[in-house]
Amino acid sequence: MSAIDTTEPIGEERRMIQAAQQDPIHFAALYERNFDRVYAFLARRVPTREEAEDLTAEVFHQAIAGLDRFEWQGTPFVGWLLGIAANLLAKRWQRATRQPEILSEDLELVASSDATERQALLAQLVALLPDDQRHVVLARFVEQRSIRDIARDLGRSAGAIKQLQFRALENLRNHVKARSHHE
Amino acid sequence: MNNQIVDQLDDVVTQMLAGNIAAQPGDFQLRELTALVDDLRYLPRPAFRARLHAELISSAVLRRIPVREPVPRHPNQDKPAACETQRSPLASPAALERFMPSFATLAASPIKPSHLALSFALHVAVLATVLTSGVWIVRSTGIPAHVVSLLNDTPLILSSEGREAHGGGGGGDRDLLSASKGTPPRVANEQLTSPAVVVRNEAPKLPATPTVIGPPEIVLPSSTLSGDPLANVLSPPSNGTGSGGGIGSGTDGGVGSGYGPGVGPGHAGGIGGGVFHVGGGVTAPRALYQPDPEYSEEARRAKFQGVVVLNVVIGPDGRPRDLRVARSLGMGLDEKAIEAVRQWKFAPATKDGHPVAVQVGIEVAFRLY
Repeated sequence: MSAIDTTEPIGEERRMIQAAQQDPIHFAALYERNFDRVYAFLARRVPTREEAEDLTAEVFHQAIAGLDRFEWQGTPFVGWLLGIAANLLAKRWQRATRQPEILSEDLELVASSDATERQALLAQLVALLPDDQRHVVLARFVEQRSIRDIARDLGRSAGAIKQLQFRALENLRNHVKARSHHE
Repeated sequence: MNNQIVDQLDDVVTQMLAGNIAAQPGDFQLRELTALVDDLRYLPRPAFRARLHAELISSAVLRRIPVREPVPRHPNQDKPAACETQRSPLASPAALERFMPSFATLAASPIKPSHLALSFALHVAVLATVLTSGVWIVRSTGIPAHVVSLLNDTPLILSSEGREAHGGGGGGDRDLLSASKGTPPRVANEQLTSPAVVVRNEAPKLPATPTVIGPPEIVLPSSTLSGDPLANVLSPPSNGTGSGGGIGSGTDGGVGSGYGPGVGPGHAGGIGGGVFHVGGGVTAPRALYQPDPEYSEEARRAKFQGVVVLNVVIGPDGRPRDLRVARSLGMGLDEKAIEAVRQWKFAPATKDGHPVAVQVGIEVAFRLY
């Protein structure tokens, strides 16, 4: 699977970067465009959700701080962000002595993996689900709550929540297939 | 929809979320759906996404004024980055130089030297104004020692009348409860039996009607319920926490919080508490702390002088209350006199060794020279 936003002209991203370099307030657009992939990249490489969030936050804060130094070389902006993320991961692993010998080439390879792309795509597709299905997906998979808890919160039966879960997964699968065929 | 497939899917999801390796379902549709579950577990929390967005926006706003740069991490620091970025790192010298150039680097800055000089002069002028205004304010309000003098060392105009006004009494029989509300007994010149709400001796050898001592012409409102008219509670019936018989929290057979066979917070019989005047066994209060009043601006401009006379009650606690202007000057000086005297403190007047409230007159003289 290729990058998510390949349908968008690369010139548009360049204009977004230039705008953000002139006025940092425009960095918000770059953030929205790249958040899912940065998070997806980090989430599978650290043990907890909290660590993934901390590292994601650091990537974007470093990015906005160093945006003046960014030079457009024709590669997607997310590559630069994932480079920051990879460096942060490497430092983290070195400190933890878990994997001191990790190489930057390995990280770049990992950064462009299908898993990262697939997960980032899924994050965007979840946002397109109907409200009740999206609520069930987030409660069930992100917050990891039980069917019974979700049913109690929504005032519905456990069976109804299971049905919503099933339909949400069906919808997501269909969207993923449709994207794959489109590309 | 087939409920069996729905339940099977949820079983697999539950196992995967619990960290168990679920067996691959035989159904092709289920295999496709469960393949998504692993990715869904790594979805970001929407709240985190929104919070980070807000952080970056606020960071971007700050960066419009170049005051933030990334923080170098301490080598031994394992603290997560999200917290670190909120610690608001200060700008590098170069960034600050762009925004706030010093005299040494002025030539390289976009700010004109003339503007900086003007800014410096304005700051000096404002600082000088602030400093001198403090002196001016002190002078304009006046140091009271120079502009106001009290009439004499003992500024109390003491009454020459030798009478006592009002008075009162109190009682009680050391009950744990406060005295209950009610009316006192008849007022008379003498007292054979002190009043009581709770009669302890039902069969006295010499029965007598309870009275309180005071001018017999005073008629108190009658009621079937005896008690202290100033009490807060109606029941349960109680003679009060005082001593020596009677009702209330005072002593010596009266009703109320005072001393003696009368009614009220006063002393030595009579009705209603109230205040004494100096003389006839009542000593004068003595001023312990008497800050001078200030001059009003209006009177100062008009060079107005004179004396304000206040009638003041000095309470048993030595604090002035019920301040009233007996002779007014106007031009804000009455208010200034009241304001000052309200802060005075006294050694209270006494009668028979007990502090009592007295009414005195106080003259406050305002003189400019």
